[in-house]
Amino acid sequence: MQYFSENELVVPGQILSDNPRQSGFGTYVREGKVYASVMGFAKSINGVLRIIPVSGRYRPQRGDKVLGIVSDVKPNAVEVDIGGETTAVIKPHERETTPLKIDIGDCVLAEVKATGLKGIVLATEGLQKIPSGILISVNAAKVPRIIGRKGSMLQVLRRETGCDFWVGRNGLIVVNGPDPAHEFAAVAAVNMIEREAHTSGLTERVIQMLRKMLGRGDEDSSN
Amino acid sequence: MKIRLINENGLRVDGRRPDEMRRMRMEVGVLEKTDGSAYVELGGTRIYAGVIGPREVHPKHLELPDKGVINCRYHMASFSVDERKPLGMTRREIELSKVIREALETVVFLEEFPRMMIDIFVEVIQADGGTRTAGITAASLALADAGIPMADMIAAIAVGKVDGVLVLDINEEEDKYGEADMPVAIAPHLNSIVLLQLNGRMTPEEVDKGLEMAQKAVQKIHQMQIEALKRKYRVEPEGLET
Repeated sequence: MQYFSENELVVPGQILSDNPRQSGFGTYVREGKVYASVMGFAKSINGVLRIIPVSGRYRPQRGDKVLGIVSDVKPNAVEVDIGGETTAVIKPHERETTPLKIDIGDCVLAEVKATGLKGIVLATEGLQKIPSGILISVNAAKVPRIIGRKGSMLQVLRRETGCDFWVGRNGLIVVNGPDPAHEFAAVAAVNMIEREAHTSGLTERVIQMLRKMLGRGDEDSSN
Repeated sequence: MKIRLINENGLRVDGRRPDEMRRMRMEVGVLEKTDGSAYVELGGTRIYAGVIGPREVHPKHLELPDKGVINCRYHMASFSVDERKPLGMTRREIELSKVIREALETVVFLEEFPRMMIDIFVEVIQADGGTRTAGITAASLALADAGIPMADMIAAIAVGKVDGVLVLDINEEEDKYGEADMPVAIAPHLNSIVLLQLNGRMTPEEVDKGLEMAQKAVQKIHQMQIEALKRKYRVEPEGLET
């Protein structure tokens, strides 16, 4: 039997179910019953109970594209601060002839190759060094909304502000635009999405706000 | 002359009945630079709690390979008491940091954070009795706000004995001039006592009765904790799928 309604906000210790086999992410089993271990929205997906946490530090998952700042360069590894629980490392292949051309303080975009006891390892394939831009930090839980369905929100942001965006799943975002006014407008838009992530009709309001911000002193647009 | 703490109508110095708690107020997510935070007001007692982490262990030698560590600091502001409290950690603060840490360690799933550390800061802004119990209540809220997995939340309250009467939630005067002070912290869903101290003298029957009173009050406090948490995250998630 389930003791919660779908999408209910549950708190740690709250009973969820009698069936210990249903225990999924964010739950635990005690005396044959399933309880919540974090605060979040409870969901039942294919008979497995999961909690989508509403808070907490970013927990890297395999395959996530993350943005980070290089915090240390060691002989056999590069440490990257991705704002998560621990720093991530990039391990260049052995006998690599051309060493990675990255330095402390560089901003990089990379995919998470592995997580676990040995730490978070980032892939060297597809590693991107970001040349310049404004670095902003948002709640990692809101990143999917900033990207939008199949990247729709990002497309809107790119089109309206003319800026380049690098979005990390960990909540770090770099904006690089033609001039400061456009960049600031882009930052304002991202902050607005983060603040109002749970509301509907957001895309429309973002477009309106951007046009209002950039309308003045910008070509001819007055809509 | 002896100070009377219970008047002829059976009321206490601040006009409460023996089994009445002081007004309690809670708020979650009050500090921006922490991962989770809470503010708890219990009568004249005011406490902020902040949680940072999980993050890498510092100093490194405290690190454990199979589970995380909790670093807890209970601290009173210099202006929180009548006579200025000197700077730095006093013996009392070091002890309370330890008992609060041990109470919280029983519910947090530390094995999920090997080689990591969770920092808990409990800052007493104004003290009027019951700071350790309000501190645990606040720290537990802050942990939940920080999204740290735990088996249950913790709610705590003190029971005391003044003028031979068992009273709930004693304040500063009752603590100073009363006969006993017994702080109790309980994990309500687990139904287990995670902190129990006793200062003064009580008979075994009085301890049982006191625990019963505390249990009832803890249920109330726990409900308030849940409400405080839900108040912050009222919104429904929408459009979260990519």
